[in-house]
This record gives sequence, C-alpha cells and structure tokens, in this order.
Amino acid sequence: MKRISLSVLGGAVGILFFLPLLWVVTNSLRPGSETFANLSPLSWQTFLELRPTLTNYSALLNSPIGRATLNSILVSAATVVIGLAVCATAAFGLAAFQFRGRGLVFGIVVLSFLVPFDAIAIPLSTMFRDWQLTNTFAGLVLPGIGNGMAIFLLRQFFLGIPAELVEAGRLDGLGWFGVFRWIYLPLSKPALIGAGLMLFLFQWQAYVWPLLIGTDANHILGPVALSNLQGQNFTDYGLVFAGAVVLTVIPLVVIAGFQRYFVQSVSSTGLK
Amino acid sequence: MRQRQGLIALAFLAPALVCLAVLRIVPAISAVVESFYTESLLRGGRVFAGLGNYTDLLSNKDFRQSVGVTLLFTVLVNPIQVAVSFLLAVLFTQRAAGAKLWRTLVILPIATPPAVSAVIWSVIYRPDGLANGVLERLGLPAQPFLTSPSQVLPSLIVLLSWIGVGYWMLFLIAGIQEVPEEVREAALLDGAGPWRRMISVVLPLVRRPLAFVLVADTVSNLLVFAPVQILTKGGPNGNSNLLMYDVYSRAYAIGDIHVAQAEVVILVALTLAIVAAQFRLLRGDQ
Amino acid sequence: MRRNLFALPAVAVAAALLLAGCGGSSEPGGQATTDPGPETGTITFTGTDNAETYQPVIKAFEAKNPGIKVTYTQIPFDQFNATMQQRLSAKDTGIDVYTVDEPRVSQLAAKGFLTDLSDLDAKVKTSFSASAYKTNHFRDKLWSLPMWNSTQFLFYNKTALAKAKVTPPTADPEQRWTWEQVEAAGRKAMQAGGTKYGLFLEQPEAYYQLQPLAESLGGGSGIEGDDALTPAVETDGWKKAMQWYGATFASGLSPRGIGGFQTGPVFAAGDVAFFVGGPWDLKIFGSSKIDWGVAPMPYFQGGKPVTPTGSWSLGVNPASKQQGMARKFVEFATLDPAGNLATTSTTTIIPANLEAQKQYTPQMDTFSGAKTAGAAAITTYESEHTAVSRPVSVGYIQFEEVMGKAFADIRNGTNSDARLQEATRQLTDAWKSIK
Repeated sequence: MKRISLSVLGGAVGILFFLPLLWVVTNSLRPGSETFANLSPLSWQTFLELRPTLTNYSALLNSPIGRATLNSILVSAATVVIGLAVCATAAFGLAAFQFRGRGLVFGIVVLSFLVPFDAIAIPLSTMFRDWQLTNTFAGLVLPGIGNGMAIFLLRQFFLGIPAELVEAGRLDGLGWFGVFRWIYLPLSKPALIGAGLMLFLFQWQAYVWPLLIGTDANHILGPVALSNLQGQNFTDYGLVFAGAVVLTVIPLVVIAGFQRYFVQSVSSTGLK
Repeated sequence: MRQRQGLIALAFLAPALVCLAVLRIVPAISAVVESFYTESLLRGGRVFAGLGNYTDLLSNKDFRQSVGVTLLFTVLVNPIQVAVSFLLAVLFTQRAAGAKLWRTLVILPIATPPAVSAVIWSVIYRPDGLANGVLERLGLPAQPFLTSPSQVLPSLIVLLSWIGVGYWMLFLIAGIQEVPEEVREAALLDGAGPWRRMISVVLPLVRRPLAFVLVADTVSNLLVFAPVQILTKGGPNGNSNLLMYDVYSRAYAIGDIHVAQAEVVILVALTLAIVAAQFRLLRGDQ
Repeated sequence: MRRNLFALPAVAVAAALLLAGCGGSSEPGGQATTDPGPETGTITFTGTDNAETYQPVIKAFEAKNPGIKVTYTQIPFDQFNATMQQRLSAKDTGIDVYTVDEPRVSQLAAKGFLTDLSDLDAKVKTSFSASAYKTNHFRDKLWSLPMWNSTQFLFYNKTALAKAKVTPPTADPEQRWTWEQVEAAGRKAMQAGGTKYGLFLEQPEAYYQLQPLAESLGGGSGIEGDDALTPAVETDGWKKAMQWYGATFASGLSPRGIGGFQTGPVFAAGDVAFFVGGPWDLKIFGSSKIDWGVAPMPYFQGGKPVTPTGSWSLGVNPASKQQGMARKFVEFATLDPAGNLATTSTTTIIPANLEAQKQYTPQMDTFSGAKTAGAAAITTYESEHTAVSRPVSVGYIQFEEVMGKAFADIRNGTNSDARLQEATRQLTDAWKSIK
C-alpha cells in the first residue's frame, strides 16, 4: 500500500516536471499560429498533436538558429578538448609532485576558477575587445577552458593512482610527460569523461559571455540566437519551440550517452 | 630534488596559470583600476575619481534595491531548491514501481540551458499561456506572474528550479545511496511516520553532500542573468533586478561603464566569499 | 579608452592562443580613417527589422554595383541598444552600416560611433524634410542619412464594432476621435462585440508610442534645459497621461504581459477592438481574417492632436575598413529615390526621401484593398499638422531606457505619479555621468 502511494507521488512529480517539456515538443510539431489555440480550455490536445508536421524543423535549418546550433557544437567541442588539456595537466602538476606551496597553489587555482566567470565578464569583455577577440571563436572558447571543478575532480582521481606505477614507469625510461600521457590518462578515463561533461555543459549553457562577445551572424551561439528570435516583429512560436527542443536534446543525448560517468563524477565531487 | 619537482610541476601548471592570470586576475585588476576613474561624454577625457563611483553606487537607490532583491532571491531560492531536491532524492530512492522512470522525467529538464528555459517559460507565463490554462482548468483565477511585483521572483524561482532541482537531486541520490540499504529500509518500515523517520535517519548521514549542494547552488544562483534579461528586464519596479543584470544594464544600456566596474568589484568580492566556503567544504576531510 | 596597462597580457593571450592551437582573426584596430578601403567585396549591414525587409534594396544595390555584396544581420529591438554599444565601442570592423534611430544620433556621434557625412549636407537638405535634416545633425555636422519616416494610425475591428452597435471612426483627420471616445467604444466592444480587450497600443512600453499622449495634454517631451539634460516628466500633462494609461491596463481595457511587437497578432486574431500601430501594419493586417479599417491617431479631449514621427536613419561605423562601399550603400538606400523606395516595398513604411515619398504615399490607400482607404491622406495630414519629433539630446539613449522601464511599471499597476518621480531621479543619476 505504502509502495503504491510512493509510486503515485513519484509519478505525479515526474509528470509535473515533464509537462512543460512535452508541451514544448508538441508545439514544435504544429504551426506557430496554433500555439495558443489549445490552452483555453485545456484538453489532451494541449499536450498531444495527432497530425505532427516537421515544417518548423526544416524552417529552423534556414534560420539563424541552424547556424547558431552548429556554432554551439563547435565551441563546446573545442572547449572540451582544450579545457581537458589545460585542466588535466594542471591536475597532474598538483597531484604527482611534492613541492613547497602545493596546497597554496592548489587553493588559488581551484578557488579562482570556481568563481563563475560571468562575475568578471564585463571587464573581461572590455579587454577581449582591445585584443580584437570580439566575434571570434577563440574569444568564445577561451574563458571556458579553466574550470575549477574539473581540476578538482581530476586531481582527486589522480591522487588515487599508486606511486609504484609512476616509479615503474620512470624506471622504464618514461619522462614526466610520458608518465602523464601513458600512465595517468589511460587510468583516468571516468574522471576525464566526467570533467569533459562539466566543461561541455558549462559552455553549452553559457549566455552572458556569448551575448557580450559573439553576436555577429557567424559567431552567435544557440541560446542567444533563440532569445533573439523572440524579439522579432512577428514571433513564430513554432520555430522558437523547435529551436528550444534542438538546444535541449543535444546536451541530453550527450548526458545520456555518458550517464554512468556523469553520475560518478557528480558523486565524487561532492561526497568523497 | 624537491625544487626540481617544483619546476616540473610548474611546467605542467603553466597553461592553467596563464589562463588564470589572463582570464581572472587581470580582468579583476582592470575592474578595480577602471572603477576609480570617470569619463564625461560632453567634456571628454578620463578623470581620476577616487572612491567617487563607489559612493555614487552606494547612494544609488536602484543599486541598493538590487542588492536587497538579490539577497531576498538568495535566501528564497537556495533553501527551496535544496529542500525539494532532498525530498525528491529521498522519494526516488525508495523501492516503488516506476521510480526509475519518474526520476528520469525529473532529470530531463537539466539539459535545458537557462536561456532556453527562460524563452520556454516566457510563453508559459503569458496571460494566455499554459500556466493560466492549467489554473483555469483547476477552477482557479488567472495570475499575472511576471507582471506582478510580488509574483515575479517566485516565477523566476520556478523556472530556475525546473532545470536546477533535478541536477542537485543527482548529487543527493548519490549521497543517499552511500547509506547502507538496511538502514534506509529499516527506517522506512518502522511503523508510524516513516517519512519523518526516513528524514531523521537519512538527513544526518548525507550532511556533507547536502552542505556541498547548498553552497554550489548558492554560487550558481548568485549570478542569475538570462531569465532577467529575457523575461523581465528587472521589473516590475525593480523587483527582479538581480545584481548581474544590474551590472549589465548599467554598463551597456545606461552606458556608465566606470560605475559598472565598481559594481563588478563588489559582485566579485561577494562571490569570492561564497566560493571560499564552497572550497572549504570540497576539501573537507582531506 | 585604450590603455597600455594591459599590453603585457595581450602577449600572454597570444601565447595562450598559440598554445590552444587556434589563432584569432585579428586586425589591429584604430581610429577612423578616411581611407575608402577596397572597391569591391562584402559589406555588412546591421538593423532591427526582419531580413526580408532589406532584401529588395540589397538586390537593387548589388545589381547596380557589381562586385559589392551586402549581408544583413538582425538584432532585435530590445537587444539592439546594448549590443550595438558593446560592438561599436569594441571598434568592431564586422559592422559597416547600421540603422540609427534618429534621436540617438547625438549620443552616437558624441561617442565617436558615426562617420561624419557632412560633405553630403547640401544634397540632404534638398532631398529630405526640414525636420529629418535637423535630427540627423549634431554640433553642426551631418552624421547619418534619413531612411524612413513614420506615423501612427488607429486601427479598428469593424466586425466587433458593428456587433457592439458602435459607429466606427472615419479616416477624416478633422473628425479625429478622442481617447475618451475610443475607451468608451472599446468597452462596448468588450461587452457586446466579442473582443477580449478594448484597446491596445503596438509598443506599449516605448517612448515613441507614448510621447504623444503627454504632448497631447501639453506635457512636453520630458526633456528640457539648454543642454537637454534636465528631466521634465512630472509635468501635469505627463501625470495625467500616465494616470489614464495605467488605468487602461488596471481596468482590463488593455492586456498586461504581452511585450512590444507581440501585440500585432492580438489584433490580427480579432481579440481587440482598437489598435494603435504604424504604417507597416497596413500590409501585415491585410493577411488577417478579420475585417478592419484605419483612422487617425486619437488625442485627449481638451488637448491637441499630436502624432509620433521619425524613424530609422542609416549611419556608417567609423571602424569600418570599407568606408567607400559602406557610403555607397547608405547613399543608395536614402538619397537615391529608387533605392529608398526599395527599402519600403516589403515592410510598408514611409520613405524619407521626398521624391520617393511623393510616389509612395498615394499607394498607401490600397496596401490592403479597401481596408486601408484614407491612409494616404492621414499620413500627409499628420506630417504637416500634428507630427512631433522625439527630443534631441546626448542623453536620449538613457532617457529611452529609463522611461521604458517606467512605462512597463506603470502598465503593471505602479502608481504613475510616484513612478514618474522615480524616473526623474533615475534620469538625474544617469545623466550625471554625461555632464
């Protein structure tokens, strides 16, 4: 009896969270002119479309959102690759060596990268402008590559790698970069994927920075382009919803694909 | 030997340290420097102003209101999100039919970027939107949501929690699963008030993840910007004018970059204090 | 603005870029040059309207100037001001030509965001109206070329008014309705005509749209003083106008929560009896299923008829490396009557060029068949008798931002007298940094 009531409660909550998403998907499958048609009174048709059409999605290809989504993918991918290189080497430096002031350096690095860079976005964007980085992919990617959580997570993982392995490697003639490349990295796949996911999600969800630094047609990112759609003389909500679905589904697929590592990385940051 | 190790470590740390200097420290210094200057459009030229921008800011009613709104928002949104995440984490770690599926449904929205969530909810909150459609169906009167000074913050909290609660719940579920199952089961089956027992048994055991979630959540909610810029522009009557948006509009809509830099300095100091707390928690029992 | 203090980090960032393996596409920025740049290539044009609006003029220009291509980027009106401030102060070479709202010319020119076009002064004087000539000047120099002019009409839903047994207003400016009449008729339409709302203004939080309300009651523009940096939004006219305006929302005559430019669909769907909108609506509403007509914009009983005017001009970004081509395009789209007409063929708006205007205005009567009968005569009448420009001030951009928020709050139920007082304080604060 208790189990059933728990199940019902869980179901109610689950559906409550899911309804807005379902409504968005449904409306992305019908013409924008019908967005508000099924709301008063509410019926099952509000959430289900029996004659779905993909016209909004094909229109999306020719709208700024299409290009912007590609930009978002490119920028996020570059952030993950470069960010992992920067964060993993830093974590290695902080985990594999004993030196005076290690704790202090670790503190400073993680602490300053934990400050969300949105806080500093306005002076940073002024500087990027002086450096001619406005409306460049480099300008969009750079601020995302240092991530305090990623460094922290990787270092924790690296600390668990036994010292004997390193010594054996050194005896085999590996340089320190070799130790990093051939011993640490292969052993740390879960942590690398977890950190990569963090870098990816961070960049994919960014809004303030892309708004400040990349608003021309060739460099605009998905979320900014989507919010721009809303300001047009005649808002086509079908298109807006289709864009929202695309910008949500892409990270969802990535998260789902790496779900195991995601949960693992999530739990090892806050818990261990 | 130790010194040599230090040098090698430094070589590995170099890229991160360069990023740190360029992306964090230099802009912070630049903000501090710029915040001591002022510029006149009519007379032209940059003049040293000392603490003038700070005193201007602190005596500005809109800024003071913005600080107040941000504080109110912080003390509302964080406990709410953490409490809901915790209750859901407890709920979804019970053995019950469909728990996995229901849990997934709650997690799905976390993939939505905040700006996209804001766009979606802008349609939901319209007077003829989904929210009022639901209220009408339930026989309740239509609500103004974003156009009401008293409902605007709760409305923003709902749209942020929609994408936030699932995320934080993941941390707490992981924490709860560390608690031996027998302990949880025993708590649940122990007669009267299983929920209360569940919470009184589990809560102390997940104190650490809970504290972590609280601080991390606070940091992420401190700089909320997209929903304000997209939905409310800080209104009505400045009741959703969170600090990050206030900085932005001061810098670019009003165009007073030097006072905006002073505000950035205050904002960074505030964030740093909270992040320092987060860091202490992260290092915790090392 | 440029500071050497951070030259060192520039080296560091270059190193970081090299390290990251991606080079920035950077050109050294600099002061405005008189160098006209290359003869052929691609120039970029940035504005707030939908891309379709400018397709005809771009096509015509490209046909006439082989080798020059124009790409258009849209930034929505709400974001336009902040985004352009960022990009222009960055000396962004990615903008060659951009649209300039006429009252903003002063501030943009003062900040060095516009190329001096004074050599065209004589031509501009003869090709445009005196008021357009004047508003594109700042400190005796010409900074931008007027592209469009605008006015506002009262659109009414014929079916709803007939159902409510209300005789609709006529297109005759001499028989112009008062706001009081519109309000009463709107309420009847809500009771008996089947509309949800009685009245809706197209841009309910825009100064452009609301200035005429205050001016109609003698409230002035809201800016005064020799330097045009003294707020005057607490005059009796402003107070009365805003009290009335706030009440239209409080009483349900107008809807809250629907933003500027999302308002047109409400009229097109038949949900509102009266709608105040621009010449572009003459064509947009033509595709709606409802039956409608146009009349002159109302005024307050006891006040005088006042209508808004002015619109977008075109300016050249001083940071552009293609000054020559940019100027060619700007001149074509404004000074050349054919080019200027082409800017108005998709979105129906009044061309600023007098030659183009002469050809254009008579056509306005037939934009949507018989529904738009009278629009041409109204347009001519308003520009001769009732049009009042927005104020010229270096502080106009701040003024518009502050007033926009005040209008939004008044619309949402804030006491209007108190909110105008608040606006005065905010303006005083914002303008302190300009003075």
